[in-house]
Amino acid sequence: MNKRALDYALKIRLPITVVVILCSFALTFYVSRPERDGLGYQPEQPINYSHKLHAGEMNIDCQYCHTGVEKTRHAMVPPAETCMNCHKVVKTDSPEIKKLREYWEKGEPIPWKRIHKVPDYAYFNHSVHVNKGIDCAHCHGDVRKMDKVEQVHSFTMGNCLDCHRNAHERMPEIAENINKGPENCNACHR
Amino acid sequence: MSNNEMKKKSGVKQLPKIENPEQFFNLPRTEEGQKEAKKSKYWRSLEVLNNPESKEVLDAKKVEFPFGEDQAINLDSMSSVNRRKFLALMTASGVFATTACTDYQDKGKIINYTTKPESVQPGVANYYASTLNITGNSWGILIKTREGRPIKLEGNPEHPVNQGKISNLAHSTIVNLYDPSRLKAPQIKGKKGLKLVPFEKTTWEDADKAIVKALNDAVNSGKEIAILSEQVLSPSYASLLNDFIAKYPTAKVYGFNTFNNDVKNAAWQETYNTTDLFPSIQLDKADVILSLENDFLGVDGDTIENTRMFVSRKDINNVYGFNKMYCVEGAMTLTGAKADYRFRLSPEMQFEFVAGLINEVIKKGALTADSSAFSSYSLDKFIKVNGFHAQKIGYLVDDLIKSKGKSIVLGGRHLPKATHIAINYLNHILGNTELYRQDSIPVSYGEFSKNGDFTNLVKDMNAGKVGVLINIDTNPVFNMPADLNFADAIQKVNTVVTLSEQENESTGYSTYLLPTNHTLESWGDAHARSNVMSLQQPVISPLYDTREKEAMLLTWINGGSEYSFDIYYNYVANKWKNDIYPKFNSAVNFETFWNNTLHDGVVTMKSSTEAIYEFNTSSLSGLKPTKKENYTVVFTESPTIGDGKYANNGFLQETPHPITKVTWDNTANISINTARKLDLKFQDMLELNLNGKTIKLPVVVQPGMADDLVQIDLGYGRTAAGDVGNEVGFDVNQFMTSNGISPWIFTGAKVSKAEGTYKIASTQEHHQMDELVGEAILGDKAYKISEFHIDRHIIQETELDTYKKDNDVIARHKHATKSIMANHEYTGIKWAMAIDMNKCTGCNACITSCNVESNIPVVGKEEVLHGREMQWMRMDRYYSGDENNPKVSIQPMMCQHCDNAPCENVCPVVATTHSPDGINQMVYNRCVGTRYCANNCPYKVRRFNFYDFRDNLAKGYYYAQSMQQMYNPEVTIRSRGVMEKCDFCTSRIADAKSNATKDGREFKGSDVVTACQESCPANAIYFGDSNDPNSEVSKLRKHDLGYHVLEILDVKPNVTYIAKLNNVIPEIDNSEGHNSAH
Repeated sequence: MNKRALDYALKIRLPITVVVILCSFALTFYVSRPERDGLGYQPEQPINYSHKLHAGEMNIDCQYCHTGVEKTRHAMVPPAETCMNCHKVVKTDSPEIKKLREYWEKGEPIPWKRIHKVPDYAYFNHSVHVNKGIDCAHCHGDVRKMDKVEQVHSFTMGNCLDCHRNAHERMPEIAENINKGPENCNACHR
Repeated sequence: MSNNEMKKKSGVKQLPKIENPEQFFNLPRTEEGQKEAKKSKYWRSLEVLNNPESKEVLDAKKVEFPFGEDQAINLDSMSSVNRRKFLALMTASGVFATTACTDYQDKGKIINYTTKPESVQPGVANYYASTLNITGNSWGILIKTREGRPIKLEGNPEHPVNQGKISNLAHSTIVNLYDPSRLKAPQIKGKKGLKLVPFEKTTWEDADKAIVKALNDAVNSGKEIAILSEQVLSPSYASLLNDFIAKYPTAKVYGFNTFNNDVKNAAWQETYNTTDLFPSIQLDKADVILSLENDFLGVDGDTIENTRMFVSRKDINNVYGFNKMYCVEGAMTLTGAKADYRFRLSPEMQFEFVAGLINEVIKKGALTADSSAFSSYSLDKFIKVNGFHAQKIGYLVDDLIKSKGKSIVLGGRHLPKATHIAINYLNHILGNTELYRQDSIPVSYGEFSKNGDFTNLVKDMNAGKVGVLINIDTNPVFNMPADLNFADAIQKVNTVVTLSEQENESTGYSTYLLPTNHTLESWGDAHARSNVMSLQQPVISPLYDTREKEAMLLTWINGGSEYSFDIYYNYVANKWKNDIYPKFNSAVNFETFWNNTLHDGVVTMKSSTEAIYEFNTSSLSGLKPTKKENYTVVFTESPTIGDGKYANNGFLQETPHPITKVTWDNTANISINTARKLDLKFQDMLELNLNGKTIKLPVVVQPGMADDLVQIDLGYGRTAAGDVGNEVGFDVNQFMTSNGISPWIFTGAKVSKAEGTYKIASTQEHHQMDELVGEAILGDKAYKISEFHIDRHIIQETELDTYKKDNDVIARHKHATKSIMANHEYTGIKWAMAIDMNKCTGCNACITSCNVESNIPVVGKEEVLHGREMQWMRMDRYYSGDENNPKVSIQPMMCQHCDNAPCENVCPVVATTHSPDGINQMVYNRCVGTRYCANNCPYKVRRFNFYDFRDNLAKGYYYAQSMQQMYNPEVTIRSRGVMEKCDFCTSRIADAKSNATKDGREFKGSDVVTACQESCPANAIYFGDSNDPNSEVSKLRKHDLGYHVLEILDVKPNVTYIAKLNNVIPEIDNSEGHNSAH
């Protein structure tokens, strides 16, 4: 390799390559950020259950099924038994209900895909938030309108803190009853 | 040249000159003040006392982790990765990598219930009341379960005996449930010649059939069926054993506890011509307690009940009600450490002392009692010969006479019968029978409740007269007196059936090895006291293919084919319905009664039998003292691992011995004089020769031991305990023969120095808070920093009488500190803790409770040697005064949650910060492991995960799948490279807070109980809101006995210690070089 070619490679090509790599990394990093945070995540579920139908059109309260939400830190996906309360009689011939029935009869848990997740080292507590009167939709979006549930808000620490710091602006409807959320580490991490 | 310039030039590191040191450090400046200060020096070990500036001592103080930071990783301690596992992992990670590419957003599945059990709410703990029979005691427990898994044991507050508290041993039994080496299926002895497979799997049906056949054969051929079992506390079990004998008439039951009250009970029965057992004592009514070798706060008797009653008379709000404890003992125990006056006396001399005391008390107190049996003993002569402080003994005699009927003399269970009879007599003539409880006495199931006649049993076994030996959860080969040669005898028995949770030294000899349920998987009951009965219920279905031991016996009674999982439950329920329920004259029907008892765990009845104590004077005739020859050896129960049954429990092995601070070992403890005589020091080897047998043991020179006495804990040196407990310590059971002064005391031993040394993992000098390096100039005088130690006031105590006269005696020494920063205002709740050192006995229950609550790993002996033990709490034990018989001060130490926490400033990644409610927070997911915080912590309470410790002990023993179920899901499991420390049970705070929100009430400081507080048998720990003027904590913070450790540093700690008040008379103690507050 002659001297000029090396000079060219080192002075022009290398910096350009590095800049291109860095730019594309930065661009991908920021563009893909929402996706990596799970925004828009809408997996196929084993049973094609519609929140829009149940919670929206039929107006069943969230807590009819998610019973843990005001008692513990886990909202809890309902046991198949809860579905069967109605579906022993209702729409028993629908193919989706047949699937449900099969799980129920075999005693197998329905392998629901998880959509919303905070990391293991954060101890989010549903009951505290719900008992303060905060609507589920603040974090989960308007599930009542979703045929298939998807994630609409990112579940990052920044997002939690944004609401904790500006609770009154974010939730004007209950502003009188709430304080600002705690911001200290132990509030979530322990 | 100014001072500063001089320093710069010379390059000598010196602290800046301080103009007015008295104000700043409150240093005693007068000659007398200096003398006074020197006198009150506290020390942790003899090395510190004698060579305070030796390299070892300075190194231990200078560096928290003395050596080994660059040591190679020991692969043997980790879970092994073999070729197949490696391939499996590679394949799995390959699969994960490819699938992750297809859907990197995947967050896994949610596994829900198909049918949710009504009582289970994910995320909420359920508590079940039950009973735990352990170390000869029966305690009510509450079992905390999460999603069906038991994760913690607590005492049942409604149980009248233990009232919500259990011992450190009881706390750690939860580990045994999940122990990976539990027996998992029934086994039968392998065919001969197959040495590699000593046992083969079998089915329960086959085993049952074969055993019933063997039992019938034994009955038909007139051979004995010997049943070995722990001493029985359970009425249903006792009646089951009787049923068994009825079905198989040649059966005979032998109770067996290594440590028991048999000698004491026998003496009691002889003294009062009764069949009752030694009664429980109302320690809370005793103004004066004289303990003779009785470690009632440590291992002797119902330590939980004793502690509660004893410290109820150490209430700082009622200083005129303080009790006074005298202790005469050979080995240093927790009781001796807590005593106001302690005397050293070898245990075989106790009889002469008691006899002399009886004489003296009768003479001085002008009691109308017969002293003829003791007339040849003189107390004056005795104290002269044994070098007792005559004036202090004078106080003892006066106090006993003055508090007639309100004092008690307690004899240790290991003392010989004659001594116990003499003690009973002393109590009798003093009218102390008043203090024996009559409404609540220990219950005896006759022969089942005491140790059997093993000499005859072994003779019969050797003669082939025993057809079947059923060993129920005991370990005779390891624990029985060695001269019985049980291991030889057991091989002469045709059918040996062993019922056991784990393998042990005895299981290898079995024909059938049948796994039993853990306590938490079993039904049962207990008769703790004549008026207290309790039920034991399972909280989890058996993890493995195991059965309750009682269920097996029942099956064999029924002919071997009728097992069902509820067979023993039905038996217990029937027993309660037919025998026990009628006794209660309950107004409700049986079902309600049963359900209520099951819910509460315990049921009590009113019973007060006026016992009349008629002393059987003939028991006094022929009492003889025992003579000392050469050295005396006393074998004691280990306060940490018991008699060895729990040796495979890492939590217990790693809990430091409360006095010697030794972990993972038993040692030969000797006095300073003995050590000098034999030229022995800490970690040297000693050769003990007793009855022709010898052993080499490492030495701990223990201040406070009687001279010419060797004390050794039993239970160590197990060879078949499991990967954790094997080869830990030394097996001294070989010395337990029947020719001692009592089963546990032997004299005539020869002791000499042996070659070599041994590494003892003692935490004695770990995490010291006082520095000894460098110099400081105060005023115009240079001081070694060692002298500041005097001023650090880590331990503060005074005499009760001094405090009564002058309430400010401690408070006067409060340091006025100035901060250059503005103090943060805490509005709302501010968490704080207070520890009452008058009550704390140093029993270690809090440490174990904290271990279980906070998922603290076991690190192993090697790592303890490196100073890497992980317990968030530690018990600092300080000595002061006469080195031969020092005063002991025990101080629980954990994160002080300082307002001006020095650790917080130095964290480069802000992983440790302060919360608005005053907690020093540790954020594990943020920590990068610089260890700056630990370096900067004046209290040395931060712990660093040098490894993933779970995978760093005995081939990753605690990494096993079963262990994962034990963890508290509310506390993060810390991995390698992360700092951790006491978090004031922040998960419990969060839990209480969310409950308050749920119930729509205001969150109060009193809603939270920390794990250590909950478990403290002495109720010495208080926790709450220091901003609430009505809370216990804020009152104690302001109390004139309250002080803060190292408050001179202006770190503003949030743990208040209440100075100990010693109930001693100041004058004579000063003449002995005793410490007073300064």
